[in-house]
Amino acid sequence: MTHEEAHQRLTAVFRDIFDNPSLEIADSTTADDIDDWDSVNHITLIAAVESEFKIKLSTRDVKNLANVGDFLKLIESKAA
Amino acid sequence: MLKQNRAELDYQDLVRKARRLQPGVGQKLKIALLADVSTQHLVPVLRALFASNGIDAHIYEAGFDTVQLEAFNPASGLYSFEPQLVVILQSVTKLRGLYCESGDRAGFSRAQVDAIEGVWQAIQSHLAVPIIQSTFVIPYERAHGHFGAKVPGTLPGAISEINRDLCERAQRHASVFICDIDYVAAWAGRRHFFDERLWALAKSMCSLELLPDVAQSIVDIAMASLGRGIKCVVLDLDNTLWGGVIGDDGLDGIGLGDLDEGGAFRFFQLFLRSLWERGILLTVCSKNTESTARRVFQEHPAMVLREEHIAMFVANWEDKATNIRRIREKLNIGFDSMVFLDDNPFERNLVRQLVPEILVPDLPEDPGLYVRAVCELNLFESAGASALDSQRTAMYQTAEKRESEKQHFGDLNSYLQSLGTVAELRRFEPPGLSRIAQLIQRSNQFNLTTRRYSQSQCEALMNDASCHPFSITVRDRFGDFGLIAVIVLKHPAQTLEIDTFLMSCRVLQRGVEQHAMNHIVEYARANNFTTVAGRYIPSAKNSMVKEFFAQFGFERGADEGAAGTEWRLDVSTYVAREVFINLETKP
Repeated sequence: MTHEEAHQRLTAVFRDIFDNPSLEIADSTTADDIDDWDSVNHITLIAAVESEFKIKLSTRDVKNLANVGDFLKLIESKAA
Repeated sequence: MLKQNRAELDYQDLVRKARRLQPGVGQKLKIALLADVSTQHLVPVLRALFASNGIDAHIYEAGFDTVQLEAFNPASGLYSFEPQLVVILQSVTKLRGLYCESGDRAGFSRAQVDAIEGVWQAIQSHLAVPIIQSTFVIPYERAHGHFGAKVPGTLPGAISEINRDLCERAQRHASVFICDIDYVAAWAGRRHFFDERLWALAKSMCSLELLPDVAQSIVDIAMASLGRGIKCVVLDLDNTLWGGVIGDDGLDGIGLGDLDEGGAFRFFQLFLRSLWERGILLTVCSKNTESTARRVFQEHPAMVLREEHIAMFVANWEDKATNIRRIREKLNIGFDSMVFLDDNPFERNLVRQLVPEILVPDLPEDPGLYVRAVCELNLFESAGASALDSQRTAMYQTAEKRESEKQHFGDLNSYLQSLGTVAELRRFEPPGLSRIAQLIQRSNQFNLTTRRYSQSQCEALMNDASCHPFSITVRDRFGDFGLIAVIVLKHPAQTLEIDTFLMSCRVLQRGVEQHAMNHIVEYARANNFTTVAGRYIPSAKNSMVKEFFAQFGFERGADEGAAGTEWRLDVSTYVAREVFINLETKP
């Protein structure tokens, strides 16, 4: 999976979870940049990411996720 | 309840659905959610699932782990919200720590349940609403392995004890319903239910995948407590209750019993039988020749269901939608309290198209999975159990039998004859007095004068020699109607007066009233009365008997307004009416 492909698929997940079909995300995007990205949606987001990329994140992984870039790094390191 | 299958319980789909809910659509229901786990992820799922059941759920979320605080504080948000339903969700996670530190392991379970019952009582003292209490999921960790099952004082043992005790206590509180989360977890598997990571991150009681199952359980119980639920199962026969087609394969050829697929159908029938026991009406709707289909119920040795379990048996070659409408009409229940179970997708779709209100779940191709499919939908959640439940079928059934006999006999008289009706006339006597007084109080439609005598007045009539008060008890070969008519004759002077003439509408048109009139005239003749006087006093509900006396040749008197109309019969002109009732007159 290329970085580009991961970014595209992650964008689709974000658009679904935050219910915004034109949402764009960058590596630097954080919870402050997206209105509905609160602690509740964070969990929903993690679950959606896990099922989209067929990966499992640990509690520590999730705690250390500060921005979209962190998400992508984790996905790329875990996804086959 | 679920409509089709578990696919409706996808967490992400439900969250999406919750986002798109239109406010104010459906019946409003205010629900307070108290929990020692977080409920943020549960709430949207609950709202979406309630919406599927036509409920606009308004949910009050108490703060994390504030169950007692909310319950014991009269000024809490719980009470100012004025909920119509309170849900208490508790997790085993908190109990782990408490149990570990507990100085009184032996008394631990009891103390926990006491505390929970205290919460119920506090809530009940402020609110008269249903309370849904969760059970605890038995933890998976075992310090002794399997051996722990026989060791006292283990954590899993203590939790099982709490669950058992909780259910027992709930029996004493009619308004408390148990939401058996332990069953939900066991069904899915505890290793799938618990999500340690999600607990750490969000204090969620279970994985997100299983949160909808928890929510659906709450919805099911809430709907049952609102009186919604399935009351009647409409069953296909061929390949639903047995393998194969009875019309083609014959009694020996159908699959039912211990062999191969036969066991699957027996399992399904055993489950249906347990539904019958708890008062669900089982009905048959099958494309078959009725006698051929009934023979299986009468003669096949492996049948678990017999004719006595079937409230209505419809087997013919008409379309199933028409037949289902007929069943609904006879049983007089709503389509939304009926479920149709048929292995044939064509029939299911036809019924879905033509009777959209009835629930038609898919059945799997493998009959071995029928029970599983039906249980997964939790179609039969109930809000009460009664010892009388299983008698209900008999009640409907005898009514149906009489009805269907009526269809067989073109001629009403031969039908009436075939019923073998026996009527017993008795002068009032002490054992029947309370039933007599009850009938006098309740009968409205077939009641000529609506005079409401109390039980002590009935007793006075009984002892009055100038009165002839009698009751009629009726039974036929299908069943016993009990005491269904009361007639009071008075003879102050030369005229025999019909003071009271009332009858239960259940026995209309069977000749009971004719039979009674024959008796009245006989009595008049035996006691040398030349005239019988009747009276019709109009009430709000008795117009059906306005012309009652006319059919017996009584002559109408003047209309006296509120006092009604007097009708007079010249006894010598009366010809006894033909009735098909065996008399047992003991006045």
